[in-house]
Amino acid sequence: MATHNKRYVMVIDSKKCIDCKACVVACRAENRVPLRYSRNWIAEEHRGEWPKLLAAFEPGQCQQCESPACVRVCPTGASYQRPDGIVAINESECVGCRYCIIACPYDARFFREDKGVVEKCDFCVQLVDRGEIPACVKTCPSKVRVFGDLNDPDGPVRQLLERRRHLTKKPEAGTSPQIYYLL
Amino acid sequence: MKRIEWGYLIVSYLFLGGLSAGLYCVSALAALLHANGHSSAYKRIARLGALLAPWPVLIGSFLLIFDLGHWSRFWKLFVRLQWTSPMSLGSWLLIAFSVVAFAYFYSWLTEDERRWIFSKIPEKLRFLQILNCDLSGKQRILALLGLPISVGVGIYTGVLLGAVQSRPFWNTNLVAQLFLFSALSTGCASIMLVLALSHEPSDSRGFRMLYGLDIGLLILEFFIVVPYVVHGPLSTQAVKNSLALILGGPFTGLFWVFFLGLGLLLQLGIEVFESVPAFLSRAPVHYNQRLTALTAVLVLGGGFLLSYIFVFAGQMSSFD
Repeated sequence: MATHNKRYVMVIDSKKCIDCKACVVACRAENRVPLRYSRNWIAEEHRGEWPKLLAAFEPGQCQQCESPACVRVCPTGASYQRPDGIVAINESECVGCRYCIIACPYDARFFREDKGVVEKCDFCVQLVDRGEIPACVKTCPSKVRVFGDLNDPDGPVRQLLERRRHLTKKPEAGTSPQIYYLL
Repeated sequence: MKRIEWGYLIVSYLFLGGLSAGLYCVSALAALLHANGHSSAYKRIARLGALLAPWPVLIGSFLLIFDLGHWSRFWKLFVRLQWTSPMSLGSWLLIAFSVVAFAYFYSWLTEDERRWIFSKIPEKLRFLQILNCDLSGKQRILALLGLPISVGVGIYTGVLLGAVQSRPFWNTNLVAQLFLFSALSTGCASIMLVLALSHEPSDSRGFRMLYGLDIGLLILEFFIVVPYVVHGPLSTQAVKNSLALILGGPFTGLFWVFFLGLGLLLQLGIEVFESVPAFLSRAPVHYNQRLTALTAVLVLGGGFLLSYIFVFAGQMSSFD
């Protein structure tokens, strides 16, 4: 299978984010997410007082962990990890126990009350399997997000991570997240 | 503020699952003592525990299913065993426990009771009469078989929470022990409550066993709560923040006054007051019906509060 030996990750350069929320809208449209829910978000931070102000924006979503706590606790196997590292949900197997929502250190999952199942970002697997990139990456006007295969030495994510300092979110949770934030 | 996903249904389920496990354990211990030729008072405790044990967990399981987003898919929990998921392990444990608990319940029914039950079966289901057999000879083996399973159910309720690495309030192995001892203690208390409310005279030996057992369990519980609270300020910032929920935060009063004060220490005091003279002089237990009933209600309230505090406070804790 083509996905073997691949490890899809995302690199985010938050400094480029202008909080236009095009990524949130694109995700909503691509994955048919109703208005009251969201698979991705922009965290805002405001500091200081006028005229000395700081406004920082940071995109957030499922961290596509290497050791996902959600997959470990799922009682039915609905939450699973693909060989290419993408953590996804098989909706037809989800019983709606919400154990995975509680186990996620990033609060990246939500319960769809209308469907009785849990949802989250899955890197738009339907697009990735067609050789495309996730909707949020495609639509971002300031190129905040870079998506690719970590195992490809010439690929864009590997190049970026080798050149730039970066960190991951809440590594102390022990889930080995695979969304890299450039410093 | 964190989103709360598990509410009162899960709180009640954890409490009721633990209660059933406790009832079975106490009953099984009494049955084994009785089988070894000890007082017939043990027989009464064993029968009472056996008759009560299957029901709380049955109600709790319905609550659990009702809490699912897709309750009609609950059977998917029993299609495969996910070793890494405490919920999957717990689901299978609940099935095993329910089967053994109902068999054990059945083994303690008298012939008249069995006859009455089978007389209610409609004519169309007459073939079920084949089940009308005497299992009283299997009480001891069922007690032995069910004992580890009921301990498993009692401890699983705590493991379900303790195994979640993202919630520092839960993520310590002390939580599993705390839930186990609380579960066993509520089982003890329920039997005490029924004995205290019944009009039949109670044998002092039975109360001696129940008080002795409950005092031991409450002391164990206390010495789990103390290190659990003490380790907070000595641990990482995330654990400090999560323990702040009961050390000045919204659950402080509930935890210290109602759970630890009324639900654990007060009843421990009453039980010690009631039974120590009897343990020292081998005199009959100083048995006060109202005080015993009050103690039992406090234990049950304490058990429910433990579940309430942990389920809600745990979900509010995080690494943020």
